[in-house]
Amino acid sequence: MEPAKLFFEDVKVGTAITPLVKRPSTVQLFRFSAMTWNSHKIHYDKPYAQSEGYPDVLVQSHLHGSFLAQAVMDWAGPAARLVGFRWQNRAIAVPGDVLTCAGTVVKTEIRDGLGYVECELEERNQSNQLCAPGWARVQLPLRAGTAGHRSN
Amino acid sequence: MAISFEAVYEQIKSRLGQTRLVAIGKINQRDMERFAVAVGDSNPLFFDHAFAREHGYPGAIAPPLYLSSVLGWEPGPPEDSLRPDGTPHDDAMAVPIRGLRVMGGGQELEFHQPVTAGMDVVMEFSVSQAELKQGRSGPLLVVQLQKRFLTTDGSPIVTCRENFIAR
Repeated sequence: MEPAKLFFEDVKVGTAITPLVKRPSTVQLFRFSAMTWNSHKIHYDKPYAQSEGYPDVLVQSHLHGSFLAQAVMDWAGPAARLVGFRWQNRAIAVPGDVLTCAGTVVKTEIRDGLGYVECELEERNQSNQLCAPGWARVQLPLRAGTAGHRSN
Repeated sequence: MAISFEAVYEQIKSRLGQTRLVAIGKINQRDMERFAVAVGDSNPLFFDHAFAREHGYPGAIAPPLYLSSVLGWEPGPPEDSLRPDGTPHDDAMAVPIRGLRVMGGGQELEFHQPVTAGMDVVMEFSVSQAELKQGRSGPLLVVQLQKRFLTTDGSPIVTCRENFIAR
């Protein structure tokens, strides 16, 4: 069950993040709203959400972000450290949508003796519409013997 | 209902740079775990102290977006004082957006140290930017909030810049 340890040397520009598929449900949205003390009706009151022009209750902004963060951390493994992260909400998602979080390594560098990789991330729905682009900077462990100072 | 975007914009602008301090208190292991459960993220780093320690943490950690996703750390207002859309009038956002449709636009986060149970945390909150834009379907207001999470002795935990869009 423990994910394989990912080392800095295993990753290069173009390496793909293992995709993560999420299927949010109304129960999930309710529990996420409860946990974040988010009483905005667009997340649990369907007639209200429709009155604002939406087809159904909406996946929370922060839940989209959390899915992307989960994808990166699952891929990078428990020895990695997430040091920077961002996402933007572009398109709505509703219960029943199938959201796939994927990404690609766009930069690797060794700085102050530590290995860092940067990834561009994307969360897309079942129609391949981009719901949330994102980005992460992750510190990965170096294999013993690597003493590089700079990469690309 | 006629909404003056300019009036809302001016009101938000008048708050730029004002900092509000919110005492979050001691972070609770169950709350961190419930957040992970709500996300559907079973990463053992969030639940298993021994596993987390094997990987260099002092104990089980919170999911990275936990602190910055919680919208209110205080008890919050009674139901009859919520806005028609269910949001509080004067929540941590402190943005007077009565009558406007509001949506989260995303966050930019720097993680300075992991969040573990028992940490005593404060949040320094401010409205850092406000912009009135012309969107495809009318005017829209983009408000940027800055939330800095610190330990009570001042060591940074997470820095978050978050955009909200009001239409």
